[in-house]
Amino acid sequence: MEQIGNMIGWETVKMVVGLVGVLAFVVLNALILTWAERKVAGHMQRRIGPKEVGPYGLIQPIADAIKLLGKEILTPRDVDKPLYYLAPMIIFVPVLVSFIVIPFSASLQVMDINVGILVILAFSSLSVFSILMAGWGSNNKYALIGAIRSIAQNIAYEIPLLLALLPVIMMTNSFSMRTIAEAQSGLGWFVFYQPVAFLIYFIASVAETNRTPFDLPEAESELVAGYHTEYSGMRFALFFLAEYTNIFIISAIAVTFFLGGYQGPFLPGIVWFLLKSYLLVFVIMWLRWTYPRVRFDQLLNISWKALIPLAFINLLVTGGLLKL
Amino acid sequence: MEKVLDLARANSIWPMTFGLACCAIEMMSSAMSRFDLDRFGAGVFRASPRQADLMIVTGTVTKKMAPVLTTLYEQMPSPKWVIAMGNCAISGGPFVFEGQYNVIEGVELLVPVDVYVPGCPPRPEALLEGFLKLEEKITGTRRFPGPENRW
Amino acid sequence: MVERIKTELGAALEGIAIADASYRERGYHLSLEVAPGELLNAARFFDERGFYLSAIICVDYREYLELVYIFSNHASLCKVKVSLKIDPAKPVAPTISTIFDCAYWHEREIREFYGVLFDGHPNMTYLFLHDGIDSYPLRRENIPVSDEDKRALGSFKPGEGEDTFFVNLGPQHPSTHGVLRVVLKMDGEYIEEAEPVLGYLHRMHEKMAENRSYQQFLPNTGRMDYLGAMSFNLGYVTAVERLCGIAVPDRANYVRVILTELNRLSSHLLWLGAYLADLGALTPFLFVFDDREQINDILEPVTGSRLTYCYFRFGGLYNDVDDAFVTGTKAFIERMRSRFSLYDKLVSGNVIFTNRTRGIGVITKERARKQAVSGPVLRGAGIPMDIRKSEPCAAYGEMNFEIPVGTRGDALDMYHVRIREMENAVNIIEQALARLPEGPIMTEKVPKKLKPPKGDLYHTVETPRGELGIYIVSDESDKPYRMKWRVPSFSNLMIFPELAKGNMLADAVAILGSLDLVIPEIDR
Repeated sequence: MEQIGNMIGWETVKMVVGLVGVLAFVVLNALILTWAERKVAGHMQRRIGPKEVGPYGLIQPIADAIKLLGKEILTPRDVDKPLYYLAPMIIFVPVLVSFIVIPFSASLQVMDINVGILVILAFSSLSVFSILMAGWGSNNKYALIGAIRSIAQNIAYEIPLLLALLPVIMMTNSFSMRTIAEAQSGLGWFVFYQPVAFLIYFIASVAETNRTPFDLPEAESELVAGYHTEYSGMRFALFFLAEYTNIFIISAIAVTFFLGGYQGPFLPGIVWFLLKSYLLVFVIMWLRWTYPRVRFDQLLNISWKALIPLAFINLLVTGGLLKL
Repeated sequence: MEKVLDLARANSIWPMTFGLACCAIEMMSSAMSRFDLDRFGAGVFRASPRQADLMIVTGTVTKKMAPVLTTLYEQMPSPKWVIAMGNCAISGGPFVFEGQYNVIEGVELLVPVDVYVPGCPPRPEALLEGFLKLEEKITGTRRFPGPENRW
Repeated sequence: MVERIKTELGAALEGIAIADASYRERGYHLSLEVAPGELLNAARFFDERGFYLSAIICVDYREYLELVYIFSNHASLCKVKVSLKIDPAKPVAPTISTIFDCAYWHEREIREFYGVLFDGHPNMTYLFLHDGIDSYPLRRENIPVSDEDKRALGSFKPGEGEDTFFVNLGPQHPSTHGVLRVVLKMDGEYIEEAEPVLGYLHRMHEKMAENRSYQQFLPNTGRMDYLGAMSFNLGYVTAVERLCGIAVPDRANYVRVILTELNRLSSHLLWLGAYLADLGALTPFLFVFDDREQINDILEPVTGSRLTYCYFRFGGLYNDVDDAFVTGTKAFIERMRSRFSLYDKLVSGNVIFTNRTRGIGVITKERARKQAVSGPVLRGAGIPMDIRKSEPCAAYGEMNFEIPVGTRGDALDMYHVRIREMENAVNIIEQALARLPEGPIMTEKVPKKLKPPKGDLYHTVETPRGELGIYIVSDESDKPYRMKWRVPSFSNLMIFPELAKGNMLADAVAILGSLDLVIPEIDR
């Protein structure tokens, strides 16, 4: 081990181990979240979710995954082949890159880039690309309508997202995720200083990941299944996986920026981090099963007419207060 | 290896929403809180045929609907199964009379059927039993003791 | 009102004999026979006086075809039957779809089932049937469809425009409407035209009625509208009883009211769940099914079925209700009242829901009259008409309830009207339970093979969706000569294309949901 370390350099070893760990975590997280979604949905709807497949239904996601792997790989005849094949693969890139800079605890972070949050935001815009490829390449009207809705929604909500994160960056004078997490020691969590920004960030990020109440791109009762209508088997599983991992990533960013990151008494940092992140994930799932869908023009109205002005005012007030 | 695949497929069958007539309400009832179908892994009713494994034909198939049904069946990727629920899907039901011109007498004339669930409409428990029979057909073993084994 | 109409009609159309009909036996007050040239004048007369066209029915009497038009009034009870005889070899009649918009689809249906050509009708293509049908189904003899007829009927082709494209909503839906296909011509996210295509579940109920005796047709009634099966049962049974003059004992009448109201409650509950599922909130759907299961628990020991009830018989009921039913229903009523407050908090106060439904799909009173909508849709549009009050059957005449009316005519009003109807249903059940008399449940001496006297009858009943009209022509045998079902969802769907125009796709789904359609009853 020492010799390998000296040969290639410790940094590289750390990065490789970190990447493997991240991949393992992504898969595990997706499994847990699919199980949790069905259980949470079940209990909110006065029934129990999966129960027969293993104790408490814990093996259910594994059964789902194996089943999806074993499905026939079907390519519809008139699809645009390069776009159709690449879309599910490209949607994973922003997800994996975002995991590199998330600080799971004081020592568990693959790489602490000093413009960490900028990396995440830049790459998350790429996911719009893959949705457009999926929608266009599927040669299906529903997929196209779903994809166009999704693009408009993503573009509209990126701006409030950014504007909500800026006050925190201004307060800590740094883009690095580690620094921001460290700056909230004790009870100085930024959610107490920036409640408006937290709310705006939360709403904008739920819209970014296409979850109800903003899930028009996958509106089941209108558009069959939105932009992934024509995908089956493993390719569909990849879209599914990417969506659940995105939910975790936005919760992780919210925890790092507003809820103190991995700081907390008694328990090790990673436990606090996972606890807080999964709490936010639970809230997002709770929202899904409670609210109806917002109509498309109302969705864009919320972003352009309500969230962005509010975020701007918040930014100005923060800037003013910091100067004084 | 085959056994693991079969077990996985049987435990996570995703039905497609294909409610045609009255039996559709009983199918929805069987997916609801009292007769939860999600317990067996069949919770997620996918709307797109490309992501579904099971087509539950609930209701009468008429000549105008027949091409739609076969198109949807062909769009499903294999392995796929079909449950014919209700008398109309099995053999035309109460709508077969002399001089009838629009009802297809049984969905088996269009697609291969795996399990028949009789009734007009069948109770949700009957649909659950049909579901368990389908799992038995896939894996070879039955999950709960069946009604004939009880005494 | 009837006298006034009679004198005015006599003045407007000279030379036409207007006969008084016994309302109790026939279901209409006046009947007249016109020649084809006079039909438009008669239609205009009724339009000016605020009547609506309830139904257009065609009966094949072998020597001639008779077209029967039933005009009714929202404000006061006055039904007029206008009949037109046409030659069966070359059946042609004028269209009244320029005056009454709802005739548009009724005439299309008669065209494809009987071969009657309506001149002046803008669009005589297939509505229910399709290209594989070779003869006119409801004609008594097997008259083949000529080739040019086939070409004319099958010529519906959506034409693509420059910036527009077509989207099919259905026939396979994730929502629970059933097999309805709507061809939408869209310009981006906005709808320019909507054309429903029906007939995916045409199960030939009317042809079966001609081949089955009155008793044998009873199970069919439950399958037409499976969500409101009791009310269809009630309509059929009371229609035949009226035709034959059979009196029903009081206990049976009260039990009929209780069960029909329970079914109305269960149907509206399902509508609520399905509507919210369309809009994206998936959880109330499950709460609603929970309530429905409670209702099924009460109804199943009495009627024997969970969904497609066939419980009423000619002359009464087939099974008596017992004390368990009464206690169970009382417990259910208390539980249901607390559930109403739950739904109120979960749905009525939800900002997203009100934003999605306020101002969407506004129906004005004039359009409601011309398109002959009925039921909660009519009451939401502002016209306070309820057939349970104006033409009560069973024990409805003794029940005390208010008619809920909407003010704006949009989808939110329909929602509030239905919620108040649910509360009314609970009140009616309570009143009926308190007054339930003892006694027999079935009249004696009802013949096994019912042979009603010769004549026709138009009987209406209020189902959860609106006005159900049953027109029976009897020729003294034990099978009906013709039975036509005027179903509420058919008329309610007619108003959808004009409501959907100019709206977004998501709004079209909201409008379709607010009309509460059940497709098997449209397709019959």
